[in-house]
Amino acid sequence: MRLIRAELLKARRRTMTWVLLTVALVLMGLSYLLIGLGMSALRGSGSDFGLGILEFPAQYATIGQFAFGIGGLLATVYVAALVGSDWNWGVLRNVVARGESRANYLLAKAAGLAIVLGIGMLIIFAAGILMVFLAGLVFNVPVSNPLRGRGLQDLAENLVLGYPVLLQRAALGFAVAVVMRSQLAGSVVGIALWLGESFLTTVLTVISIPNNLGGFIDGGIQQIGPVWYQFLPISIGGYVLNVLPGGSGLVSAAAGGGLQGLFLKPVPLELALPMVLIYLAVAIGVAIVALNRQEIV
Amino acid sequence: MDPLNTAPLPADHFMPRTDAPTPDLAVATRGLMKRYGRQIALTGLDMSVPTGKVYGFLGPNGSGKTTALRLLTGLLRPNAGTISLFGKPYTWHDWTRLFRVGSLIETPSFYPYLSGAENLDVLSASGPPTDKRRIDQVLEYVGMSGRAKSPIQTYSLGMKQRLGIAAAMLSDPDLLLLDEPANGLDPGGMVAMRETLRYFTAELGKTVVISSHLLHEVEMLADVVGIIDHGRLLREGPLHDLLEAAGRVRVRVAPEDMTKAAAVLREFAPDRPLYGVDSGDQAGWFTVGIAPARAAEINRALVGAGIYAAGLEPGSDLESIFLELTGRTGTVAAPPTAEPGPPPMGLPQ
Ligand SMILES: Nc1ncnc2c1ncn2[C@@H]1O[C@H](COP(=O)(O)OP(=O)(O)OP(=O)(O)O)[C@@H](O)[C@H]1O
Ligand SMILES: [Mg+2]
Repeated sequence: MRLIRAELLKARRRTMTWVLLTVALVLMGLSYLLIGLGMSALRGSGSDFGLGILEFPAQYATIGQFAFGIGGLLATVYVAALVGSDWNWGVLRNVVARGESRANYLLAKAAGLAIVLGIGMLIIFAAGILMVFLAGLVFNVPVSNPLRGRGLQDLAENLVLGYPVLLQRAALGFAVAVVMRSQLAGSVVGIALWLGESFLTTVLTVISIPNNLGGFIDGGIQQIGPVWYQFLPISIGGYVLNVLPGGSGLVSAAAGGGLQGLFLKPVPLELALPMVLIYLAVAIGVAIVALNRQEIV
Repeated sequence: MDPLNTAPLPADHFMPRTDAPTPDLAVATRGLMKRYGRQIALTGLDMSVPTGKVYGFLGPNGSGKTTALRLLTGLLRPNAGTISLFGKPYTWHDWTRLFRVGSLIETPSFYPYLSGAENLDVLSASGPPTDKRRIDQVLEYVGMSGRAKSPIQTYSLGMKQRLGIAAAMLSDPDLLLLDEPANGLDPGGMVAMRETLRYFTAELGKTVVISSHLLHEVEMLADVVGIIDHGRLLREGPLHDLLEAAGRVRVRVAPEDMTKAAAVLREFAPDRPLYGVDSGDQAGWFTVGIAPARAAEINRALVGAGIYAAGLEPGSDLESIFLELTGRTGTVAAPPTAEPGPPPMGLPQ
């Protein structure tokens, strides 16, 4: 417990914590500015596509893009930096030389960072809901009552299912930073993993399009799969986010983007969520094994 | 050729020590070997640190001091050999044994954006259960209470060093391992550290291992010294015995008295060679292999023989022993070269 408390102090006093939270909030603010502008333009033109209203739970998906999509990427970088800096500053040797168990130290670090990310997620959702109403007010767009219908349950589902995805994405940065023993390497490799997976799955999806052709003959696109690359670490989280209340049904938050959603059958939640948890556990396990074997100089 | 075997070593040193470490040794290593990739750092270190003493760990740059301390604190795994800590065998898995060890290895390392007190606070969360009140206490010890609230990135070298010493003492350890602790300390800081460490051992019965290049500092502080070079211990023992055994006194007489003086001086150390210079501007100087403390006796004996010494120098100190053992006397007798430059520094490898 005292180790977790110490991790929280380190995170709270670290400038990067606040910088990255601000980045996520500013990006979300900008996007609500655009959404608000767009909607008021739509309403002004008199067209009626049912788009002229800021509706819940659909807005949760937008907020989720920032909490789990961009937020996930930022979390990967953030966690890699916070963990990796223990090597860069040589402070890890103090801890080991004091007789702390390496595994305990890493687990406490993971728990501390999980708390920080959880708080960050709550802040982004709270700020996001506020921004929806603000956008409604400023651009004179009606906002649906978030408490109507399933109300709070929708919000809770977003948070409860989104949180493990956020943690799993951050855990990538965690494991990479421990294995590479550097904050920079951890962050760079973390980002490279995101981009690499996104690129790979897009290419593989495009290559597999001929397999969908059978469907074209019958007059439609036939979805295939699920195929293996839908189970890659970033993509799989996308399939969890996908079924959240308000989710678009397309894998928008996944690495492969909309293309996967179009041509590939989604991975069902019953499969996707356990996979996310397995990735999370494996990442932390890999980090612990790596640290236990490391010589610290 | 293996560069590690070029150093002159006493013959008995090629025999591995087989004596079992005893409980009155706080630290004992036997045949400790460590390689970094292909770089060999320790080639069979046999080191015995008695409990309740200050152990001065001396050696030239790159001789393996830091490596030995890293092995003792579980940062590295030895390639061969054994370590015993507090009289019991210790391996990389016995990390809780380190609860009783405080260490400062190489440069002090802290979170630069946290204050000194915060750094000690997060450090106290790891390892042995540590009372928070202890933080103020150790800050007081090292004279850092005044700057405890400023971030580390605003600290000077010596301030970081002081905080590093405070961190080593944080959990009231029974064994302190300090790697070049005097690095960057001002004279006041050095004196304070010396007093603290003396109190630590003499009054509290704790043990200190201090690696240092400041031989004079070690000479004033250490009870026992170990001299390491090329990853192996060349000499170890009580400082007093070492100085005694390697002691010598330089004495100068008039050149015409040399023969008479030699007879007198030979009596003092019959089994050690007597050196005399009989010509040149150093003529008349003898080097007698006895403890420096006995210089007055020499003077008295010479006077008794009707010879008056023109000069008398107690010649032995830790520095001369160190330089003799490690063979790093590169600063003397640099051969005249076409390019006048500084004498070589005598670095290993
Ligand atoms: N991280 C490392 N990687 C590779 N070789 C290393 C490493 N650390 C030390 N060495 C090598 O091990 C040997 C012993 O180094 P060590 O740091 O233990 O010496 P030292 O006695 O502490 O020297 P100094 O007085 O300069 O601090 C040297 O040859 C050094 O080059
Ligand atoms: Mg060193």
